[in-house]
Amino acid sequence: MKLEAQNIGFAYTPEVPVLHDVSLSLAEGDVLFLLGRNGSGKTTLLSCLSGIQRPSHGDVLLDSRSLHTYNASERARRIGLIPQLHTPAFAYSVREMVLMGRAPHLSLFGAPSAADRAIADEALENVGLHDLRERPYTEISGGERQLALIARGLAQKCDILLMDEPSAHLDLSNQHRVLEMVDQLARQGLSFIISSHAPNNALSYASRVLLLHRGKVLGYGPPQETLTEALLSKAYGLHTEIIYEHRDGQEQARAVIAKRPFTLPPAALDWPDSPLAQAFAPDAEMPQLFLITGLSGVGKTTWCGELVRLAQQRGLRVAGLWSPAVFADGRKVGIDMVDLHTEEQRRLACLRGKEATAVSTIQWAFDEEVIAWGNHVLAHLPDNDLLVIDELGPLEFLRDEGLLAGLRVLDAGAYRVAAVVIRPSLLPEAQARWPHAQVITPR
Amino acid sequence: MATTSRLKKSPLSAANKGQKTARAALLRYGLPALLLGLPLFLCLLGLALGRYSIPVADVGRILLSPLFPNTAAGVDETAVRLVLRVRLPRTLAALLIGASLGSTGAAFQGIFKNPLVDSNILGVTSGAGFGAALALLLLWPAWLVQTSAFGFGLLAVGLAFFGSRLYRSAPMLVLTLMGILVGSLFGSLTSLLKYVPDPLDTLPAITFWLLGSLASVTWRDLPALVGITAVGAAFLWLVRWRLNVLSLGEAEAITLGTNPTGLKLAIIVAATLMTAVAVAVSGVIGWVGLVIPHAGRILVGPDHRRLIPAGLSLGASFLLLIDLIARTVLPGEVPLGVLTGLIGVPLLIVLLRRNRTGW
Repeated sequence: MKLEAQNIGFAYTPEVPVLHDVSLSLAEGDVLFLLGRNGSGKTTLLSCLSGIQRPSHGDVLLDSRSLHTYNASERARRIGLIPQLHTPAFAYSVREMVLMGRAPHLSLFGAPSAADRAIADEALENVGLHDLRERPYTEISGGERQLALIARGLAQKCDILLMDEPSAHLDLSNQHRVLEMVDQLARQGLSFIISSHAPNNALSYASRVLLLHRGKVLGYGPPQETLTEALLSKAYGLHTEIIYEHRDGQEQARAVIAKRPFTLPPAALDWPDSPLAQAFAPDAEMPQLFLITGLSGVGKTTWCGELVRLAQQRGLRVAGLWSPAVFADGRKVGIDMVDLHTEEQRRLACLRGKEATAVSTIQWAFDEEVIAWGNHVLAHLPDNDLLVIDELGPLEFLRDEGLLAGLRVLDAGAYRVAAVVIRPSLLPEAQARWPHAQVITPR
Repeated sequence: MATTSRLKKSPLSAANKGQKTARAALLRYGLPALLLGLPLFLCLLGLALGRYSIPVADVGRILLSPLFPNTAAGVDETAVRLVLRVRLPRTLAALLIGASLGSTGAAFQGIFKNPLVDSNILGVTSGAGFGAALALLLLWPAWLVQTSAFGFGLLAVGLAFFGSRLYRSAPMLVLTLMGILVGSLFGSLTSLLKYVPDPLDTLPAITFWLLGSLASVTWRDLPALVGITAVGAAFLWLVRWRLNVLSLGEAEAITLGTNPTGLKLAIIVAATLMTAVAVAVSGVIGWVGLVIPHAGRILVGPDHRRLIPAGLSLGASFLLLIDLIARTVLPGEVPLGVLTGLIGVPLLIVLLRRNRTGW
């Protein structure tokens, strides 16, 4: 245990508390991300943890000793803070700025030595600013200034680095560079507390996440458990979804802002140049396969539902399976399966456990009986003009489980027009399997 | 086109490199030599020139005469007396007061994070002006006038400082405001005092004092001036690198391991004592504390490690030059405060125009 906040509260004026009952602990090698909206108290929390402000309630302990019993330089040798971007009154060179990170290691009357300059130069090298070191700090770009402040933090050589929105002004590659550097230094035993507006950086790099909401802790723990759709949606006051991307065989969670569901324009089946309209034309070649794809949350299922409605309106015979989500209290709690011919509806999957949230497919408990029923439906399809299968996923493609009857129907080409929901990661395999398929991405 | 430019490039970059090392060498050796040499040269000039000019060689011999009585043999007795009794204390005072105003200006700009303040930001000069005016009005002797000026200078800063402690937020901003308020208050009080006295006798004395002059400096003024200036300047010299850290603001100073409150208070005390003793000896001399740090930044950059020495040297040189002009160029003595303004303001305009790289 190194740095610990015990029920700290803080108020600039007594009437308006900024922090309320915040506790956290930071061990060696931890990377703690602070997330929350503007004004949720992230910077104030960092001020308390770095010793700039003394909490009005509770205490901050460094190695079990109250932080304010350390003297300034002793504390700054342990804890460094990389502040938000600012413009100093004087045009110090980048190198002079970075050298100031050596201040806690020098006596009050001291000045940096050659050894300190070497440390500063090394830090500048690490952030890639070496070539700019003689330039005035006030004249370089915002991102470069941010990197210079990070270099100063590195030159401070402390065990705990607090970073206030370090990537706010950085381009994609510099964000990556800084976060990879954090990751690497954390492996060497440095600890980080990073305030951020990027939940996805937290999902990728954090060992722990603290979600602040109006000065209170909304969630605290490992990122996958803390950054749930429900908590993120509450913290940002915005319907947020967690989606999973599969890359190089690894599953990576990403938070996205839920979009308004896609709706098919009512006339889509009548537009002469729409591929769907062409598919239903009397002289169209059969069979026609459409792969409906897009990241999770983009509205594939809604899109299929709309297509079914439009097709039925035109008197087309629709068959197959559709899997709408079941919501309760604004949370996705289940997935149903609907036989589009008989309109029989069964519960395909429920959340596993009471407290579980819709974070990962692992947390969904699928009903094997309903899957068997789905296979039965697909194996005994009535004559139809439009076959919908929502969806064929990793179970079918990678594990030979699930709705295998769907694969067989498609392989056999026993349909006129089919719309099949496929996640993007499986698209290459689906296209290899059915080379004539056309891809539609709902937007 | 491309070939030409490539051909041109290599000798150019070589020249650049040469220029760079030459510049580094100049910065390393030339600058300290200049900063040390310039005030000394002006001192010598100040001793030699005046209504009654004395050859520089004679000045040297006169300066050595207190130690080696024979060296001044053959030099005019008047010249010896002039140099030792009048010009030497006056030149030393100009040197010390200029150094004091230049360096405290730089220090105040640093801790206030504001390149537009000078040593009077906390009202020390206004307070001292009031103290002197009061003493002159009461017809106190010269040493009491100085003591009163010194005391009221400190009082003004004390009022500003403790007044600012009544507020909890934005301490430096409130301190600046308090300084301005206290300065205005003492300015008004001084005006009130100028309204009261005998217009033929006391009023001119007050007015001249407020305009600043070194004409009446004697050896008796020097011990306090030398002592306080030396101690204060030594302190500023020692903490000069820390001033960089302080200039980033309180929060950053804390996270960089510096206790800003204590250190700022110490710097304010040192700089205030220096300014108060300077003003007590010379009267009000404006503009040096504002202009000199800017000139210094152009010469040596914003790093206080070099800026404080530059402030000391350039401040001393500037005031020596101004005093020389006051004594030689114009008939009669022009008050220093007038000249520093007349020369300092255009100089500042030029410097601000040139110094486009921030401050």
